[in-house]
Amino acid sequence: MSDSAVPKAEPESELRRSITGRLLFFYVLGDVLGSGIYVLIGAVAGEVGGAFWAAFAVGVTVAAFTGLAYAELATKYPRAAGASLYVNKAFGSRALTFLTTVLYLSATFAAAGSLAAGFARYFGQIWSLPPALLIMIVFIILLAIVNYVGITESVVINMAMTIVEVTGLVIVLLIGAIYVGQGKADFTVLTNFSSGDNVVFAIIAGVALAFFAMTGFENAANVAEETIDPSRNFPRALIGGMAAAGVIYVLVSMSAALVVPVDTLASSDAALLEVIRAGILPISVSVMVLVFAIIAMVAITNTTLVQVVTQSRILYGMAREDVVPAAFAKVHPTRRSPVVALVFSAVVVIALLVAGDLLNRIGLQVDIVERLAAVTVVLLLVVYAGVIVACLKLRGSDETSDTFRAPTALLLVGLVGNVVLLYYVISTDPGSLIWCAGLVAVGFVLFVAELALGKRDRPAGVRRGEPIDGKKDH
Amino acid sequence: MATKGMHVVVATDGSKQSLAAAKHLMSFADPEKIAEISVVGVISPYASVAFADDISGRDDPDQSFRDAANDAVATVAGVLEGWGPKVSKKVRSGSPANEIVKAATAVGAGLVVVASGGRGLSETILLGSTAQRVQHSAPCPVLVVRPAKRKKRK
Repeated sequence: MSDSAVPKAEPESELRRSITGRLLFFYVLGDVLGSGIYVLIGAVAGEVGGAFWAAFAVGVTVAAFTGLAYAELATKYPRAAGASLYVNKAFGSRALTFLTTVLYLSATFAAAGSLAAGFARYFGQIWSLPPALLIMIVFIILLAIVNYVGITESVVINMAMTIVEVTGLVIVLLIGAIYVGQGKADFTVLTNFSSGDNVVFAIIAGVALAFFAMTGFENAANVAEETIDPSRNFPRALIGGMAAAGVIYVLVSMSAALVVPVDTLASSDAALLEVIRAGILPISVSVMVLVFAIIAMVAITNTTLVQVVTQSRILYGMAREDVVPAAFAKVHPTRRSPVVALVFSAVVVIALLVAGDLLNRIGLQVDIVERLAAVTVVLLLVVYAGVIVACLKLRGSDETSDTFRAPTALLLVGLVGNVVLLYYVISTDPGSLIWCAGLVAVGFVLFVAELALGKRDRPAGVRRGEPIDGKKDH
Repeated sequence: MATKGMHVVVATDGSKQSLAAAKHLMSFADPEKIAEISVVGVISPYASVAFADDISGRDDPDQSFRDAANDAVATVAGVLEGWGPKVSKKVRSGSPANEIVKAATAVGAGLVVVASGGRGLSETILLGSTAQRVQHSAPCPVLVVRPAKRKKRK
């Protein structure tokens, strides 16, 4: 080996980070795009009417204001821990931190359930033989295995899936554009509201569902620590990704509303496929339906994968904090994945899906996609509101010249928006609270299990959770 | 060829096996022939657990993944220090196999040392391990240290 091959002056411990602004942008875009538009566009159209693009516009805006709070906090505290870390820093209350963590964990469970059900609907469009519940369960199990193997670590796969997602939506836009070009479009549909008497309510109802389409952006906090030049790249990529998703959503909504009658969209299981079925493109409809269903499934898979990663990451963090049994912090000796956390998360999500199926069987009609989406939204709105409050409370502390500072007025608007939406969702759909309570109870059961079993691995005299202050600060 | 000795890259994923791999290198290699050892840890930002440190003995819940990687790398480096060659520490971020190969290429390594825990089903059926991927594309010989046979536990 000659010395010339060795680059000189390598620092002792080089701080090489890998997430560029562009990668983070695609991460946010991919995560956000998959979650709602493919799954929920029909439901939103049903609530609002032809003007349902407005619901997406408002939903995106409220979410983006919350995104600003995340951007500020992630540049302040780049540790990959998200909402619970921020609330902990702001309030220093163990109970509040635990509650935030459990709410967020529950939200990712519900989201994964809703997405799995949405996946099964697109799958059913291609091959309707296997029962939907089976598809959902297999889907969730496969994702857990994929995570165990570590495919999700691949930056390339992440990027590729995002490109596929965008392609699907570009197809919808293209169809809309051709339709308009043919002069067949009736633009008055874009200002139609289904409940003529109260436009505001119609929009809020749609926004509550559309909000689900924006969730996922908060997962960007997962990679904040590994982002290059975070104070510059993080806010840009996060808000940029959300804004790009928002523009795509609004355009896709308009396109769908112009091409397909709103009641067809609303009653469809896989609404975006109706746009393809309109047969505008000069390609065989059956081929396009197949292609598009696959694209939709890739999109949903991408977002669900991130949810599954987040679930096991949260459980891992909680186990390290000693609030759930230590088994959740055990990683596989070579795969380095948290096996117990992955299995447990999959079991909880499958339990949700089975519960939904059982309710339908005993005659209580539950639209599992919408129900779990509403549950996700309720839980996340609480978390988001908490994050905005934490952001405002942490003003003035831990700030460096590199900290991104979000405009206070926008944060306040975001906070009001979250609270209004929360109030609305709960008042119109109180049943979702039962599901929320059930999920949150899972977190508390784990806490009790840790209380009962977890004494062994703590040194004498150290109280539960104390290591946070005990070890680091001294 | 080499007058000054080769540059060795020792990879750690924070596992006990990776620490054993570093010790294995010391058990047979001649420190005189090694100029420098780079201990490399890789954080995978998109993974469920971006880095898990099982070897430093630190158990601080407030630790970030990067802290964990730094601790694990320091622990392996600590074992190698005093053996002879200069020891440097590197923490990278990305896909583990890819980054290990890049690190080896960057320093012009003459040997890469990686651990492989693989005896189980998952190594054979599911895609193969980081060690396998490193072997495929490393710019130099690779030492894969497999776990010693132990009596069955559990």
